[in-house]
Formats: sequence, C-alpha cells, structure tokens
Amino acid sequence: LFVFNSPPSRPAVVSAGSPVPGTVSGARSQRTLVEILDAKTREKLCFLDKVEPHATIAEIKNLFTKTHPQWYPARQSLRLDPKGKSLKDEDVLQKLPVGTTATLYFRDLGAQISWVTVFLTEYAGPLFIYLLFYFRVPFIYGHKYDFTSSRHTVVHLACICHSFHYIKRLLETLFVHRFSHGTMPLRNIFKNCTYYWGFAAWMAYYINHPLYTPPTYGAQQVKLALAIFVICQLGNFSIHMALRDLRPAGSKTRKIPYPTKNPFTWLFLLVSCPNYTYEVGSWIGFAIMTQCLPVALFSLVGFTQMTIWAKGKHRSYLKEFRDYPPLRMPIIPFLL
Amino acid sequence: MAAAAATAATKGNGGGGGRAGAGEAGGARKKKGPGPLATAYLVIYNVVMTAGWLVIAVGLVRAYLAKGSYHSLYYSIEKPLKFFQTGALLEILHCAVGIVPSSVVLTSFQVMSRVFLIWAVTHSVKEVQSEDSVLLFVIAWTITEIIRYSFYTFSLLNHLPYLIKWARYTLFIVLYPMGVSGELLTIYAALPFVRQAGLYSISLPNKYNFSFDYYAFLILIMISYIPSPHHPFPFS
Repeated sequence: LFVFNSPPSRPAVVSAGSPVPGTVSGARSQRTLVEILDAKTREKLCFLDKVEPHATIAEIKNLFTKTHPQWYPARQSLRLDPKGKSLKDEDVLQKLPVGTTATLYFRDLGAQISWVTVFLTEYAGPLFIYLLFYFRVPFIYGHKYDFTSSRHTVVHLACICHSFHYIKRLLETLFVHRFSHGTMPLRNIFKNCTYYWGFAAWMAYYINHPLYTPPTYGAQQVKLALAIFVICQLGNFSIHMALRDLRPAGSKTRKIPYPTKNPFTWLFLLVSCPNYTYEVGSWIGFAIMTQCLPVALFSLVGFTQMTIWAKGKHRSYLKEFRDYPPLRMPIIPFLL
Repeated sequence: MAAAAATAATKGNGGGGGRAGAGEAGGARKKKGPGPLATAYLVIYNVVMTAGWLVIAVGLVRAYLAKGSYHSLYYSIEKPLKFFQTGALLEILHCAVGIVPSSVVLTSFQVMSRVFLIWAVTHSVKEVQSEDSVLLFVIAWTITEIIRYSFYTFSLLNHLPYLIKWARYTLFIVLYPMGVSGELLTIYAALPFVRQAGLYSISLPNKYNFSFDYYAFLILIMISYIPSPHHPFPFS
C-alpha cells in the first residue's frame, strides 16, 4: 500500500508524469487506485496507489491524514459524489460502486470536538451555576442576603432535584451512553453551553431569590410534582440503559428498541423516543414543583427541540426497518 | 435590528427575473418562481403596499404644508403607518409558504423589529410621538418601502427599470443611517417614560416567580443595533 507524500500545497502524485490508473499487469490486479479530490474545487489532493479492495473508508481516512495532517479523520467527509452523502467509516471500498480507480470527494467538516467533551461541559455548567445561586454567592442578590439560606423547603428540594438531574446526566455520559458519532463541529459547544448555562442561571436566579413565592397549592403541589419528577427520572434512566443494551460496546449497530421487563420501558410500545418523553415529563414536574415561569419556558423550548429530534429519529427508524411497529409515535403517545 | 436598511436590502417578495444585487446570498439557484396564481397574488400585494406607503408619503407632505412645520407630523399618518407596516407581517407567511424564496427567520426578524418600533415603542409611549426622531425613521421607511415594493412589483412582472434597481441600492446609503438614527433616538427618548410608568414590566414577588424589566430590555435592543460577526450589517 503506497502513499506518496508531497508538500501540502501540491497534490500527492504517483510520478512526475500523468498518473497511471490501476494498471493491469500479467496477473489480474486486485488493487484499486484511490484518488481524493476536493469536493468544491475538484483539485486533486491525494493519490493512494494499490489500496486493498477490502480496505474501509476509515483506513483511507487515516492514509489521507498522513499527507494532510491538519485534516484528522474526524473532520474528513469523503463521498462518491461531491454533493452526495458522506460515506461511513465502516464502508468497504470493494462494496462501493467504483471501478479500478475510486474517486472520492473530500469536504472539510471543520474543527471537531468529541461528544463526550461537549456533554460533560454543557452539563457540568448548570450543576455548578445553580449552586452559586442556591448558596446566594455575593453580587447576585442584595448584600444582606449573601450566603443566607431560603426558609422554604421547596427551594432546598428543587436544588436537590436539579443537581441530581445533572449529576445523573454526567454519569450517563461517562458510563452509559454509546455514541454513534465520535465528534461534532466545534462551534456546537458554544451554542449548547450558552443554552444550558444561560437557562440554568435564569431559572436558578428566581427559584433561589429571597422574594421567591412558594407554590400556590403548597405541600400537595410539591409532592405531586416531586412524584412526577422522580418517576420520569427513573423512566429516562431505564430507557438509556435499554438503549445501551441494544448496542454492544464499541459497535455502531442499530436495532429497533423493544420493551423489556422494566415497566418504565413499556413506553416503547407507544413512542419511538421515550427517553425524550420522560425528559419533558421531568421538567414539567420541576416546573410545577417550583411554580416558576422560566422553568416552564425552558421545558417548552426543550420540548420543541426534542420533538424535532424525535421526529427525525422516528423517520430514520421507519426508513431503516420495514417491520417497525406502526402504533408508535415519535414522542407523545398517539399525538406527536 | 436595523429595520430600515434590513428591509431595503432583503430580496424577499421578488419574483422571477431582476432580483440581482446585494442580499441575494444562496436562495435562487435552481428554484422555479412562484406559480401563476401566487405571482398574481404577490403582484397585488406589492402594488397595494406601494400604494399604501405612497399614501403615507403624501400624507406627510400635506400635513407639512398645512401646519407649516415638520414637528409632530406622526399624528397625520399614524393610522396608515400602523396598517401598512403591520400588514408586512404577511411577508413572513409568504416565505413560510414558499412563494417567496427568502429565509423565514431573516424576514421575521426584520418585520418584527419594525412592528416592535411602531407598536411597542411609538404607540405605547405616547410622549415620544411628538419627537422629531419619529419623523426621521418614518421618512426613511416611507422612501425605502415605496422603492422596495415597486422593485418587487416590477421584478414579478419581469420588467425592472434600472432606475428602481439603482434607487434601491444607492439611496440605501442615506436611508439606512437615517432610519437607524430615528429608531435609536426614539427608543432612547422613550426610556424615562418607561421607567416612570413601569411599562410592560413585572417585578418580584409574584406567584409565577418571574420578572421582566422593559427598560433594561429596550437598552438591550439599542445595543443589538451594533453590527457584529453574529448579526452583521444587513447587506452582505
């Protein structure tokens, strides 16, 4: 397997003359020439001579990185058509519709960051920020309130719930989730953190405010809301575990999720993404518990986003699996 | 925000040919124009809007001649101004439905900022209605809109006189700063009255544990007029 190195400003070429595509020598050659062109400019970036036909796209990406080290594999999108879909890392060269010369088009996806890093950052923020407001750290409320504590039980309960929620998310990110993609574009971390951290600060400000007004229906309302919250947290966790068990470690297989013995997973009978259903439920519970409009708004925005994701996921399930259960809706049973 | 200029440079409401120039970014590569019914509707819409803003222009001139001064002319054109500027909300619908190939988000942003100035500032804070800054943005908007809507009308009919195209992209250079100045000065003038009356504001404690300070909000709006890489000058 030869890769001819060259300075980055010129494409890697086989020889000074024109390249000789997959030469047939006496015995039938099994190997393929792979040329990589820029999808926008059609500039020839790299020639890979004598690539094994059973090589995967991932291996080709690694070879391409050798000649263009600034484009690490995670930021490479290789496709057969300049405007087509990206090829997957697992795709095998031989199985693609290419002849003895494979022409791949390259697009730079931009700086990438791992999903794990993004999740950890976006969830650690709210956990920490909320506590700043809970402990009434100076310069947030008036100085006479610095480091004071609320006299309302629900405020302490809310802090426990909010903190539990984000600790759960952090632990799930580290130990439970199995990600399909390793990375996402770098700019997402700024967008996502602004959203999570911003809303966390906004909610926390009011819940922990010295002038906070506890729920109208008192302890009854708080108990009901807490029950909803706890059930939905358990539900959400159960779904995450069920999804994890669908996919063996290190693999990227996709299967239809089905209910298990855990009653919380029975929601799979009615929706494709019960994890989102339970997540919305948790936040509705938290909103009722705190009777705080910013929390309700956060729930609404989150619900909107999760509905979009659920619809997308539902659509890909339907496309991928002929026998997908017809009763299921994306996120709300029977409705949405 | 930059309501004045933004609408001048947007390509919204256009039809087939003659939609060249600034603000074209993306959109019109392989798209078919709107169908014949949609085109007829859009022509009517743009003609009506052109006429509406002409009414406002004429109203301003007549009021000026009658009064002998340019102060407090707002009252003479208050109703048609509100009607036709608010009517522009339809343009969001046009994009959403697809008969106009502009971005729904961009159009919403532009129309909403105009509607905000008309209703949430000028209408709501009566004390600013006699300010000269109001006349400044009304004139800027009036000229801009007359040109813009006639531009779209002609484009839809595939016969765009060079004069209109020239006017749209050249007068912008004067009309945009004029509009922005008028808008900013008006918001600034409204501030003390908003503070005094606690207009559209809610404070703690209340049972929904929420607060909103309209005064601070208006200041943020004023700050948002500053162009940045995230919200650049509206013609690219």
